[in-house]
Amino acid sequence: MADAVVVEGLHKRYGAVRAVRGVSFTIEHGEIFALLGRNGAGKTTTMEILEGFRRRDSGRVDVLGLDPGEKATERALRERIGLVLQDIAVEPYLTVRETIARDAGYYPAPRDIDEVIGLVGLAGLEKKKVRALSGGQKRRLDLALGLIGGPTLLFLDEPTTGFDPNARRDAWQLVRDLRDAGTTVLLTTHSMEEAEELADRVAVIADGRIVAEGTPGTLGGRDTARARIRFALPPGTTVADLPVPAAPGEGGLVTVESAEPTRTLHQLTGWALRRDTVLAGLRVDRPSLEDVYMRLTDHSHSTPERSAP
Amino acid sequence: MSIDVPRAQAGRLSSRRLGLRLLWHQIRYEQLTFWRNPQSAFFTFVFPVVVMAIFGGLFGSIGKSEFYYGRSALQYYVSTIAAVSVLGSCYSQLAIVLATRRQNGMLKRVRATPLPASGYFAGLLAHCVLVSVVDVLLITAVGRLYGVPLPAAPQWPALAVSLVLGAAAFCALGVAVASLVRNAEAAPSVVQFVLFPLVFISGTYMPIHSALLNGIAGALPVKPFNDALLLAFTTDHTGLPWRDYGVLLLWGVAGAAVAVRRFRWDSR
Repeated sequence: MADAVVVEGLHKRYGAVRAVRGVSFTIEHGEIFALLGRNGAGKTTTMEILEGFRRRDSGRVDVLGLDPGEKATERALRERIGLVLQDIAVEPYLTVRETIARDAGYYPAPRDIDEVIGLVGLAGLEKKKVRALSGGQKRRLDLALGLIGGPTLLFLDEPTTGFDPNARRDAWQLVRDLRDAGTTVLLTTHSMEEAEELADRVAVIADGRIVAEGTPGTLGGRDTARARIRFALPPGTTVADLPVPAAPGEGGLVTVESAEPTRTLHQLTGWALRRDTVLAGLRVDRPSLEDVYMRLTDHSHSTPERSAP
Repeated sequence: MSIDVPRAQAGRLSSRRLGLRLLWHQIRYEQLTFWRNPQSAFFTFVFPVVVMAIFGGLFGSIGKSEFYYGRSALQYYVSTIAAVSVLGSCYSQLAIVLATRRQNGMLKRVRATPLPASGYFAGLLAHCVLVSVVDVLLITAVGRLYGVPLPAAPQWPALAVSLVLGAAAFCALGVAVASLVRNAEAAPSVVQFVLFPLVFISGTYMPIHSALLNGIAGALPVKPFNDALLLAFTTDHTGLPWRDYGVLLLWGVAGAAVAVRRFRWDSR
Protein backbone atom coordinates (compact mmCIF):
# COMPACT_ATOMS: atom_id res chain seq x y z
CA MET A 1 0.00 0.00 0.00
CA ALA A 2 1.25 3.49 -0.80
CA ASP A 3 2.36 5.73 2.04
CA ALA A 4 -0.19 7.90 3.81
CA VAL A 5 1.84 11.07 3.40
CA VAL A 6 4.78 11.85 1.16
CA VAL A 7 6.53 15.22 1.33
CA GLU A 8 9.46 15.95 -0.95
CA GLY A 9 11.51 19.12 -1.14
CA LEU A 10 8.78 21.31 0.35
CA HIS A 11 9.48 25.06 0.30
CA LYS A 12 7.46 27.99 1.59
CA ARG A 13 8.48 31.57 2.17
CA TYR A 14 6.64 34.56 3.57
CA GLY A 15 8.29 37.60 2.02
CA ALA A 16 11.89 37.43 3.11
CA VAL A 17 11.29 34.72 5.70
CA ARG A 18 12.00 31.22 4.42
CA ALA A 19 9.70 29.31 6.74
CA VAL A 20 10.15 25.88 5.18
CA ARG A 21 13.33 25.08 3.26
CA GLY A 22 13.31 21.70 1.60
CA VAL A 23 11.42 19.49 4.03
CA SER A 24 11.00 15.83 3.07
CA PHE A 25 9.47 12.96 5.00
CA THR A 26 7.18 10.00 4.58
CA ILE A 27 4.47 8.70 6.88
CA GLU A 28 3.35 5.11 6.60
CA HIS A 29 -0.24 4.01 7.00
CA GLY A 30 -1.09 3.25 10.59
CA GLU A 31 1.77 4.99 12.33
CA ILE A 32 1.98 7.94 14.67
CA PHE A 33 4.43 10.46 13.29
CA ALA A 34 5.48 13.46 15.36
CA LEU A 35 6.90 16.71 14.05
CA LEU A 36 8.95 18.13 16.86
CA GLY A 37 10.25 21.67 16.88
CA ARG A 38 10.15 24.97 18.65
CA ASN A 39 7.78 27.78 17.70
CA GLY A 40 8.69 29.27 14.36
CA ALA A 41 10.66 26.23 13.24
CA GLY A 42 8.25 25.62 10.39
CA LYS A 43 6.14 22.79 11.76
CA THR A 44 2.82 24.62 11.71
CA THR A 45 3.48 25.90 8.18
CA THR A 46 4.27 22.35 7.08
CA MET A 47 1.09 21.07 8.76
CA GLU A 48 -1.03 23.79 7.18
CA ILE A 49 0.29 22.96 3.71
CA LEU A 50 -0.56 19.28 4.26
CA GLU A 51 -3.98 20.25 5.58
CA GLY A 52 -4.68 22.33 2.47
CA PHE A 53 -4.83 25.66 4.31
CA ARG A 54 -1.69 27.09 2.71
CA ARG A 55 -0.19 26.95 -0.74
CA ARG A 56 3.34 25.71 -1.11
CA ASP A 57 5.98 27.48 -3.18
CA SER A 58 7.53 24.26 -4.46
CA GLY A 59 7.94 20.59 -3.70
CA ARG A 60 5.72 17.54 -3.91
CA VAL A 61 3.03 16.82 -1.34
CA ASP A 62 0.87 13.73 -1.42
CA VAL A 63 -1.74 13.18 1.29
CA LEU A 64 -3.72 9.91 0.97
CA GLY A 65 -2.91 9.95 -2.72
CA LEU A 66 -4.27 13.48 -3.18
CA ASP A 67 -2.61 16.87 -3.58
CA PRO A 68 -3.88 19.12 -0.77
CA GLY A 69 -3.25 22.18 -2.97
CA GLU A 70 -5.68 20.90 -5.58
CA LYS A 71 -9.13 22.56 -5.42
CA ALA A 72 -10.89 19.84 -7.40
CA THR A 73 -10.15 17.10 -4.85
CA GLU A 74 -10.38 19.28 -1.74
CA ARG A 75 -13.70 17.86 -0.59
CA ALA A 76 -12.61 14.26 -1.17
CA LEU A 77 -9.54 14.92 0.97
CA ARG A 78 -11.52 16.66 3.71
CA GLU A 79 -13.85 13.67 3.93
CA ARG A 80 -10.90 11.43 4.78
CA ILE A 81 -8.85 13.57 7.14
CA GLY A 82 -9.60 14.88 10.61
CA LEU A 83 -8.08 18.02 12.08
CA VAL A 84 -7.54 19.14 15.63
CA LEU A 85 -6.27 22.69 15.48
CA GLN A 86 -4.51 24.73 18.12
CA ASP A 87 -7.28 27.23 18.77
CA ILE A 88 -10.36 26.23 20.67
CA ALA A 89 -13.02 27.28 18.20
CA VAL A 90 -16.44 26.01 19.16
CA GLU A 91 -19.76 27.82 19.17
CA PRO A 92 -20.42 28.79 22.80
CA TYR A 93 -24.20 28.51 22.75
CA LEU A 94 -24.54 25.03 21.28
CA THR A 95 -24.45 21.93 23.48
CA VAL A 96 -21.69 19.34 23.28
CA ARG A 97 -23.93 16.95 21.37
CA GLU A 98 -25.23 19.59 18.97
CA THR A 99 -21.70 20.74 18.18
CA ILE A 100 -20.65 17.22 17.24
CA ALA A 101 -23.91 16.44 15.42
CA ARG A 102 -23.50 19.55 13.29
CA ASP A 103 -20.08 18.46 12.05
CA ALA A 104 -21.24 14.85 11.66
CA GLY A 105 -23.67 16.13 9.05
CA TYR A 106 -20.77 17.26 6.85
CA TYR A 107 -19.30 13.77 6.37
CA PRO A 108 -20.55 10.99 4.12
CA ALA A 109 -20.04 8.27 6.76
CA PRO A 110 -19.63 9.83 10.20
CA ARG A 111 -18.88 7.84 13.34
CA ASP A 112 -21.60 7.40 15.91
CA ILE A 113 -21.98 10.63 17.85
CA ASP A 114 -22.41 9.07 21.27
CA GLU A 115 -19.52 6.71 20.68
CA VAL A 116 -17.25 9.65 19.90
CA ILE A 117 -18.51 11.53 22.96
CA GLY A 118 -17.56 8.49 25.03
CA LEU A 119 -14.17 8.14 23.33
CA VAL A 120 -13.06 11.65 24.22
CA GLY A 121 -14.43 11.35 27.76
CA LEU A 122 -17.32 13.79 27.54
CA ALA A 123 -20.06 11.26 28.39
CA GLY A 124 -22.59 12.83 30.73
CA LEU A 125 -21.89 16.32 29.38
CA GLU A 126 -23.87 15.91 26.13
CA LYS A 127 -26.43 18.53 27.04
CA LYS A 128 -24.03 20.99 28.54
CA LYS A 129 -23.51 24.26 26.68
CA VAL A 130 -20.03 24.65 25.28
CA ARG A 131 -19.53 27.94 27.12
CA ALA A 132 -19.91 26.12 30.45
CA LEU A 133 -17.11 23.65 29.66
CA SER A 134 -13.62 23.93 31.12
CA GLY A 135 -10.66 24.61 28.83
CA GLY A 136 -9.62 20.96 28.84
CA GLN A 137 -13.17 19.82 28.10
CA LYS A 138 -13.36 22.21 25.15
CA ARG A 139 -10.16 20.76 23.75
CA ARG A 140 -11.64 17.29 24.11
CA LEU A 141 -14.66 18.51 22.19
CA ASP A 142 -12.26 19.77 19.53
CA LEU A 143 -10.73 16.30 19.43
CA ALA A 144 -14.21 14.83 19.01
CA LEU A 145 -14.74 17.10 15.98
CA GLY A 146 -11.51 15.79 14.50
CA LEU A 147 -12.74 12.21 14.95
CA ILE A 148 -16.39 12.44 13.99
CA GLY A 149 -15.77 12.00 10.27
CA GLY A 150 -13.98 8.68 10.87
CA PRO A 151 -10.71 9.94 9.36
CA THR A 152 -8.06 7.74 7.76
CA LEU A 153 -5.49 10.38 8.67
CA LEU A 154 -5.69 12.55 11.75
CA PHE A 155 -3.77 15.81 12.16
CA LEU A 156 -3.17 16.84 15.75
CA ASP A 157 -1.63 20.26 16.29
CA GLU A 158 -0.27 20.29 19.84
CA PRO A 159 -3.20 18.18 20.96
CA THR A 160 -2.77 18.04 24.71
CA THR A 161 -1.86 21.65 25.48
CA GLY A 162 -3.94 22.66 28.49
CA PHE A 163 -4.78 19.10 29.56
CA ASP A 164 -4.28 18.05 33.15
CA PRO A 165 -1.97 15.04 33.58
CA ASN A 166 -4.82 12.52 33.75
CA ALA A 167 -6.62 13.89 30.74
CA ARG A 168 -3.30 13.89 28.95
CA ARG A 169 -2.73 10.19 29.65
CA ASP A 170 -6.29 9.44 28.50
CA ALA A 171 -5.78 11.42 25.30
CA TRP A 172 -2.52 9.59 24.60
CA GLN A 173 -4.24 6.25 25.10
CA LEU A 174 -7.03 7.34 22.77
CA VAL A 175 -4.50 8.27 20.07
CA ARG A 176 -2.76 4.90 20.48
CA ASP A 177 -6.12 3.13 20.25
CA LEU A 178 -6.94 5.02 17.06
CA ARG A 179 -3.58 4.05 15.63
CA ASP A 180 -4.17 0.42 16.58
CA ALA A 181 -7.52 0.59 14.78
CA GLY A 182 -5.70 1.72 11.63
CA THR A 183 -5.75 5.51 11.76
CA THR A 184 -2.59 7.30 10.69
CA VAL A 185 -1.69 10.22 12.97
CA LEU A 186 0.49 13.24 12.29
CA LEU A 187 1.05 15.34 15.36
CA THR A 188 3.08 18.39 16.16
CA THR A 189 4.33 18.94 19.64
CA HIS A 190 7.05 20.62 21.58
CA SER A 191 6.65 18.23 24.45
CA MET A 192 9.45 15.64 24.46
CA GLU A 193 7.42 13.50 26.77
CA GLU A 194 4.52 13.44 24.35
CA ALA A 195 6.73 12.54 21.40
CA GLU A 196 8.41 9.81 23.39
CA GLU A 197 5.13 8.39 24.71
CA LEU A 198 3.19 8.48 21.48
CA ALA A 199 5.24 8.62 18.35
CA ASP A 200 6.36 5.63 16.32
CA ARG A 201 8.64 8.00 14.47
CA VAL A 202 9.79 11.53 15.12
CA ALA A 203 11.18 14.22 12.83
CA VAL A 204 12.86 17.22 14.41
CA ILE A 205 12.37 20.38 12.43
CA ALA A 206 14.55 23.44 13.01
CA ASP A 207 14.92 26.53 10.91
CA GLY A 208 12.67 25.14 8.19
CA ARG A 209 14.55 21.88 7.75
CA ILE A 210 14.34 18.34 9.10
CA VAL A 211 17.50 18.00 11.19
CA ALA A 212 16.89 14.47 12.44
CA GLU A 213 14.42 11.68 11.91
CA GLY A 214 13.97 8.31 13.56
CA THR A 215 12.22 6.43 16.31
CA PRO A 216 12.17 8.23 19.65
CA GLY A 217 14.74 5.71 20.90
CA THR A 218 17.26 6.18 18.12
CA LEU A 219 16.78 9.83 17.24
CA GLY A 220 20.02 11.74 16.74
CA GLY A 221 22.11 8.64 17.51
CA ARG A 222 20.62 8.46 20.97
CA ASP A 223 20.88 4.67 21.14
CA THR A 224 24.56 4.59 20.23
CA ALA A 225 25.55 7.65 22.23
CA ARG A 226 28.06 7.22 25.04
CA ALA A 227 26.59 6.53 28.42
CA ARG A 228 27.05 9.13 31.11
CA ILE A 229 28.09 8.00 34.59
CA ARG A 230 27.83 10.58 37.33
CA PHE A 231 28.62 10.42 41.04
CA ALA A 232 30.11 12.48 43.86
CA LEU A 233 33.84 12.14 44.45
CA PRO A 234 34.46 10.26 47.73
CA PRO A 235 35.92 12.53 50.42
CA GLY A 236 39.68 12.88 50.27
CA THR A 237 40.00 11.82 46.66
CA THR A 238 40.59 13.80 43.51
CA VAL A 239 39.69 13.21 39.88
CA ALA A 240 43.25 12.04 39.28
CA ASP A 241 42.77 9.12 41.71
CA LEU A 242 39.98 7.57 39.62
CA PRO A 243 40.82 4.55 37.46
CA VAL A 244 39.16 6.12 34.38
CA PRO A 245 39.28 9.61 32.87
CA ALA A 246 36.59 11.85 34.36
CA ALA A 247 35.49 15.45 34.19
CA PRO A 248 34.26 17.54 37.11
CA GLY A 249 30.66 18.49 36.54
CA GLU A 250 27.96 20.56 38.12
CA GLY A 251 26.96 20.24 41.76
CA GLY A 252 30.24 18.62 42.86
CA LEU A 253 29.57 15.59 40.67
CA VAL A 254 32.08 14.13 38.29
CA THR A 255 31.05 12.79 34.90
CA VAL A 256 32.54 9.83 33.12
CA GLU A 257 31.56 9.20 29.52
CA SER A 258 31.86 5.68 28.30
CA ALA A 259 31.15 3.58 25.24
CA GLU A 260 31.38 0.48 27.47
CA PRO A 261 29.44 1.37 30.59
CA THR A 262 29.47 -2.19 32.00
CA ARG A 263 33.26 -2.33 32.07
CA THR A 264 33.68 1.25 33.23
CA LEU A 265 31.17 0.81 36.05
CA HIS A 266 32.94 -2.33 37.17
CA GLN A 267 36.23 -0.45 37.29
CA LEU A 268 34.71 2.42 39.24
CA THR A 269 32.75 0.37 41.76
CA GLY A 270 35.73 -2.00 42.25
CA TRP A 271 37.91 1.01 42.93
CA ALA A 272 35.43 2.34 45.50
CA LEU A 273 35.02 -1.02 47.27
CA ARG A 274 38.77 -1.48 47.54
CA ARG A 275 38.95 1.91 49.23
CA ASP A 276 35.99 0.99 51.40
CA THR A 277 34.08 4.03 50.27
CA VAL A 278 30.95 4.75 48.24
CA LEU A 279 30.10 6.54 44.99
CA ALA A 280 27.35 8.76 46.38
CA GLY A 281 24.56 9.75 43.98
CA LEU A 282 25.66 7.25 41.34
CA ARG A 283 23.66 7.61 38.13
CA VAL A 284 24.00 6.08 34.69
CA ASP A 285 22.04 7.44 31.78
CA ARG A 286 21.98 8.12 28.09
CA PRO A 287 21.13 11.45 26.53
CA SER A 288 17.38 12.00 26.95
CA LEU A 289 15.24 12.87 23.97
CA GLU A 290 15.27 16.37 25.36
CA ASP A 291 19.10 16.47 25.35
CA VAL A 292 19.10 15.34 21.74
CA TYR A 293 16.41 17.82 20.83
CA MET A 294 18.19 20.70 22.52
CA ARG A 295 21.40 19.82 20.75
CA LEU A 296 19.66 19.54 17.37
CA THR A 297 17.70 22.75 17.66
CA ASP A 298 20.23 24.80 19.55
CA HIS A 299 22.02 26.33 16.59
CA SER A 300 18.95 27.28 14.68
CA HIS A 301 18.13 30.94 14.35
CA SER A 302 14.41 30.42 14.63
CA THR A 303 12.45 33.34 15.89
CA PRO A 304 9.42 32.61 17.99
CA GLU A 305 6.21 33.17 16.04
CA ARG A 306 3.21 33.41 18.30
CA SER A 307 3.65 32.33 21.84
CA ALA A 308 2.22 28.88 22.31
CA PRO A 309 -0.96 28.71 24.35
CA MET B 1 -35.09 20.36 19.46
CA SER B 2 -33.95 16.96 18.33
CA ILE B 3 -31.11 16.75 15.89
CA ASP B 4 -30.86 14.15 13.19
CA VAL B 5 -27.96 13.93 10.89
CA PRO B 6 -27.90 13.46 7.13
CA ARG B 7 -26.10 10.18 6.79
CA ALA B 8 -24.32 7.97 4.39
CA GLN B 9 -27.44 6.27 3.09
CA ALA B 10 -27.79 9.61 1.40
CA GLY B 11 -25.50 8.11 -1.22
CA ARG B 12 -28.66 6.85 -2.85
CA LEU B 13 -30.13 10.32 -2.94
CA SER B 14 -29.49 12.65 -5.81
CA SER B 15 -26.78 15.21 -5.20
CA ARG B 16 -29.41 17.91 -5.45
CA ARG B 17 -31.45 16.48 -2.60
CA LEU B 18 -28.24 16.00 -0.67
CA GLY B 19 -27.42 19.66 -1.24
CA LEU B 20 -30.85 20.70 0.04
CA ARG B 21 -30.46 18.49 3.09
CA LEU B 22 -27.09 20.01 3.85
CA LEU B 23 -28.54 23.49 3.40
CA TRP B 24 -31.36 22.69 5.80
CA HIS B 25 -28.84 21.20 8.25
CA GLN B 26 -26.82 24.45 8.10
CA ILE B 27 -29.86 26.69 8.50
CA ARG B 28 -31.01 24.74 11.56
CA TYR B 29 -27.68 25.12 13.29
CA GLU B 30 -27.38 28.78 12.34
CA GLN B 31 -30.85 29.29 13.82
CA LEU B 32 -29.92 27.44 17.01
CA THR B 33 -26.76 29.48 17.37
CA PHE B 34 -28.62 32.72 16.73
CA TRP B 35 -31.56 32.21 19.08
CA ARG B 36 -29.44 30.86 21.91
CA ASN B 37 -27.26 33.95 21.91
CA PRO B 38 -29.23 36.57 23.88
CA GLN B 39 -27.30 39.42 22.34
CA SER B 40 -28.03 38.58 18.72
CA ALA B 41 -31.59 37.53 19.45
CA PHE B 42 -32.30 40.79 21.26
CA PHE B 43 -30.43 43.46 19.31
CA THR B 44 -30.99 42.01 15.89
CA PHE B 45 -34.45 40.63 16.24
CA VAL B 46 -36.38 42.15 19.13
CA PHE B 47 -34.99 45.67 18.92
CA PRO B 48 -36.71 46.76 15.66
CA VAL B 49 -40.01 45.33 16.91
CA VAL B 50 -39.67 47.29 20.15
CA VAL B 51 -38.83 50.46 18.20
CA MET B 52 -41.94 49.92 16.07
CA ALA B 53 -44.08 49.46 19.16
CA ILE B 54 -42.70 52.70 20.67
CA PHE B 55 -43.13 54.64 17.41
CA GLY B 56 -46.67 53.35 17.28
CA GLY B 57 -47.34 54.98 20.61
CA LEU B 58 -45.49 58.18 19.75
CA PHE B 59 -46.69 58.83 16.20
CA GLY B 60 -49.92 56.85 16.05
CA SER B 61 -52.04 59.99 15.95
CA ILE B 62 -50.24 61.65 13.02
CA GLY B 63 -52.41 61.16 9.96
CA LYS B 64 -51.57 61.50 6.29
CA SER B 65 -49.33 64.51 5.67
CA GLU B 66 -46.96 66.00 3.13
CA PHE B 67 -44.13 65.50 5.61
CA TYR B 68 -44.57 61.74 5.28
CA TYR B 69 -45.04 61.93 1.50
CA GLY B 70 -48.80 61.70 1.76
CA ARG B 71 -48.72 58.69 4.13
CA SER B 72 -49.54 58.50 7.79
CA ALA B 73 -46.52 58.54 10.09
CA LEU B 74 -46.97 54.87 10.97
CA GLN B 75 -47.39 53.79 7.36
CA TYR B 76 -44.06 55.44 6.76
CA TYR B 77 -42.35 53.92 9.79
CA VAL B 78 -43.60 50.37 9.22
CA SER B 79 -41.65 50.30 5.98
CA THR B 80 -38.52 52.11 7.20
CA ILE B 81 -38.30 50.09 10.44
CA ALA B 82 -38.87 46.93 8.41
CA ALA B 83 -35.96 48.06 6.23
CA VAL B 84 -33.74 48.75 9.23
CA SER B 85 -34.51 45.30 10.64
CA VAL B 86 -33.28 43.77 7.39
CA LEU B 87 -30.11 45.88 7.66
CA GLY B 88 -29.62 44.59 11.19
CA SER B 89 -30.10 40.91 10.48
CA CYS B 90 -28.27 40.90 7.17
CA TYR B 91 -25.61 43.58 7.06
CA SER B 92 -24.70 44.17 10.74
CA GLN B 93 -25.22 40.69 12.07
CA LEU B 94 -23.38 39.01 9.21
CA ALA B 95 -20.39 41.36 9.36
CA ILE B 96 -20.00 40.95 13.12
CA VAL B 97 -20.62 37.21 13.19
CA LEU B 98 -18.16 36.51 10.39
CA ALA B 99 -15.44 38.75 11.84
CA THR B 100 -15.85 37.08 15.24
CA ARG B 101 -15.91 33.56 13.87
CA ARG B 102 -12.82 34.25 11.81
CA GLN B 103 -10.95 35.71 14.74
CA ASN B 104 -11.63 32.83 17.11
CA GLY B 105 -10.87 30.21 14.48
CA MET B 106 -14.39 28.90 13.85
CA LEU B 107 -14.20 29.68 10.15
CA LYS B 108 -10.95 27.78 9.85
CA ARG B 109 -12.63 24.87 11.65
CA VAL B 110 -15.47 24.90 9.13
CA ARG B 111 -12.89 24.97 6.38
CA ALA B 112 -11.38 21.82 7.87
CA THR B 113 -14.59 19.86 7.22
CA PRO B 114 -15.91 18.69 3.85
CA LEU B 115 -18.67 21.32 3.97
CA PRO B 116 -18.13 23.38 0.80
CA ALA B 117 -17.76 27.15 1.19
CA SER B 118 -20.88 27.57 -0.94
CA GLY B 119 -22.85 25.38 1.49
CA TYR B 120 -21.64 27.36 4.47
CA PHE B 121 -22.54 30.72 2.94
CA ALA B 122 -25.84 29.48 1.51
CA GLY B 123 -26.84 28.36 5.02
CA LEU B 124 -25.73 31.59 6.64
CA LEU B 125 -27.42 33.81 4.03
CA ALA B 126 -30.62 31.80 4.09
CA HIS B 127 -30.62 32.10 7.87
CA CYS B 128 -30.25 35.90 7.65
CA VAL B 129 -33.03 36.18 5.09
CA LEU B 130 -35.27 34.02 7.27
CA VAL B 131 -34.65 36.19 10.32
CA SER B 132 -35.35 39.29 8.20
CA VAL B 133 -38.62 37.92 6.88
CA VAL B 134 -39.87 36.99 10.36
CA ASP B 135 -38.81 40.42 11.63
CA VAL B 136 -40.63 42.19 8.81
CA LEU B 137 -43.76 40.11 9.46
CA LEU B 138 -43.65 41.01 13.16
CA ILE B 139 -43.16 44.70 12.43
CA THR B 140 -46.06 44.60 9.97
CA ALA B 141 -48.16 42.89 12.64
CA VAL B 142 -47.29 45.56 15.23
CA GLY B 143 -48.21 48.22 12.65
CA ARG B 144 -51.52 46.45 12.06
CA LEU B 145 -52.23 46.61 15.80
CA TYR B 146 -51.85 50.37 15.54
CA GLY B 147 -54.21 50.41 12.58
CA VAL B 148 -51.76 50.52 9.70
CA PRO B 149 -53.36 48.70 6.75
CA LEU B 150 -51.59 45.64 5.38
CA PRO B 151 -49.99 46.03 1.96
CA ALA B 152 -52.43 45.62 -0.92
CA ALA B 153 -52.49 42.10 -2.35
CA PRO B 154 -51.22 43.11 -5.83
CA GLN B 155 -48.19 44.64 -4.13
CA TRP B 156 -47.04 41.45 -2.45
CA PRO B 157 -44.81 40.33 -5.32
CA ALA B 158 -43.15 43.77 -5.28
CA LEU B 159 -42.74 43.46 -1.52
CA ALA B 160 -41.19 40.02 -1.85
CA VAL B 161 -38.83 41.11 -4.62
CA SER B 162 -37.79 44.21 -2.66
CA LEU B 163 -37.15 42.18 0.49
CA VAL B 164 -35.15 39.44 -1.18
CA LEU B 165 -33.13 41.85 -3.30
CA GLY B 166 -32.45 44.12 -0.31
CA ALA B 167 -31.59 41.24 1.99
CA ALA B 168 -29.21 39.78 -0.62
CA ALA B 169 -27.53 43.13 -1.25
CA PHE B 170 -27.05 43.82 2.46
CA CYS B 171 -25.79 40.30 3.07
CA ALA B 172 -23.19 40.88 0.34
CA LEU B 173 -22.22 44.20 1.94
CA GLY B 174 -22.02 42.52 5.36
CA VAL B 175 -19.64 39.87 4.04
CA ALA B 176 -17.66 42.62 2.28
CA VAL B 177 -17.23 44.56 5.55
CA ALA B 178 -16.23 41.35 7.32
CA SER B 179 -13.63 40.82 4.61
CA LEU B 180 -12.16 44.29 5.05
CA VAL B 181 -12.20 44.40 8.86
CA ARG B 182 -9.45 42.20 10.22
CA ASN B 183 -10.11 42.67 13.89
CA ALA B 184 -13.27 41.26 15.45
CA GLU B 185 -13.28 43.82 18.26
CA ALA B 186 -13.39 46.60 15.68
CA ALA B 187 -16.20 45.02 13.67
CA PRO B 188 -19.21 46.36 15.65
CA SER B 189 -17.83 49.92 15.62
CA VAL B 190 -17.05 49.85 11.92
CA VAL B 191 -20.48 48.44 11.19
CA GLN B 192 -22.19 51.15 13.23
CA PHE B 193 -19.91 53.89 11.96
CA VAL B 194 -21.02 53.11 8.41
CA LEU B 195 -24.65 52.41 9.18
CA PHE B 196 -25.60 55.13 11.64
CA PRO B 197 -25.15 58.21 9.39
CA LEU B 198 -26.46 56.29 6.43
CA VAL B 199 -29.70 55.39 8.19
CA PHE B 200 -30.21 59.01 9.22
CA ILE B 201 -29.64 60.63 5.83
CA SER B 202 -31.78 57.94 4.22
CA GLY B 203 -34.85 59.04 6.15
CA THR B 204 -35.27 55.92 8.24
CA TYR B 205 -36.19 57.78 11.44
CA MET B 206 -37.31 61.05 9.88
CA PRO B 207 -38.29 61.90 6.29
CA ILE B 208 -35.69 64.02 4.51
CA HIS B 209 -36.85 66.90 2.35
CA SER B 210 -33.49 68.18 1.16
CA ALA B 211 -32.92 67.56 -2.54
CA LEU B 212 -29.16 67.48 -2.03
CA LEU B 213 -29.29 64.89 0.78
CA ASN B 214 -31.83 62.81 -1.10
CA GLY B 215 -29.59 62.91 -4.17
CA ILE B 216 -26.64 61.61 -2.17
CA ALA B 217 -28.63 59.05 -0.19
CA GLY B 218 -30.35 57.90 -3.38
CA ALA B 219 -27.04 56.67 -4.73
CA LEU B 220 -26.24 54.80 -1.49
CA PRO B 221 -27.97 51.52 -0.68
CA VAL B 222 -30.26 52.34 2.29
CA LYS B 223 -32.61 54.95 0.79
CA PRO B 224 -33.43 52.94 -2.35
CA PHE B 225 -34.33 50.03 -0.09
CA ASN B 226 -36.48 52.27 2.15
CA ASP B 227 -38.21 53.71 -0.91
CA ALA B 228 -38.81 50.32 -2.52
CA LEU B 229 -40.39 49.00 0.68
CA LEU B 230 -42.40 52.19 1.21
CA LEU B 231 -43.81 51.88 -2.28
CA ALA B 232 -44.59 48.20 -1.84
CA PHE B 233 -46.20 48.74 1.55
CA THR B 234 -48.34 51.75 0.80
CA THR B 235 -49.47 51.93 -2.81
CA ASP B 236 -51.79 49.71 -4.76
CA HIS B 237 -50.47 50.10 -8.25
CA THR B 238 -48.28 47.26 -9.44
CA GLY B 239 -45.36 49.17 -10.92
CA LEU B 240 -41.90 48.23 -9.69
CA PRO B 241 -39.30 50.79 -8.56
CA TRP B 242 -36.70 49.77 -11.14
CA ARG B 243 -34.30 52.58 -10.34
CA ASP B 244 -34.18 51.59 -6.65
CA TYR B 245 -33.69 47.95 -7.60
CA GLY B 246 -30.88 48.95 -9.92
CA VAL B 247 -29.01 50.85 -7.19
CA LEU B 248 -29.49 48.00 -4.72
CA LEU B 249 -28.30 45.48 -7.27
CA LEU B 250 -25.17 47.51 -8.04
CA TRP B 251 -24.30 47.76 -4.34
CA GLY B 252 -24.96 44.06 -3.91
CA VAL B 253 -22.68 43.21 -6.83
CA ALA B 254 -19.98 45.57 -5.52
CA GLY B 255 -20.23 43.98 -2.06
CA ALA B 256 -20.09 40.49 -3.52
CA ALA B 257 -17.06 41.42 -5.63
CA VAL B 258 -15.17 42.70 -2.57
CA ALA B 259 -16.28 39.64 -0.58
CA VAL B 260 -15.15 37.17 -3.22
CA ARG B 261 -11.78 38.86 -3.69
CA ARG B 262 -10.96 39.68 -0.10
CA PHE B 263 -12.70 37.16 2.13
CA ARG B 264 -10.35 35.18 4.35
CA TRP B 265 -11.07 32.12 6.44
CA ASP B 266 -8.37 32.63 9.02
CA SER B 267 -7.16 35.70 10.81
CA ARG B 268 -3.47 35.43 10.03
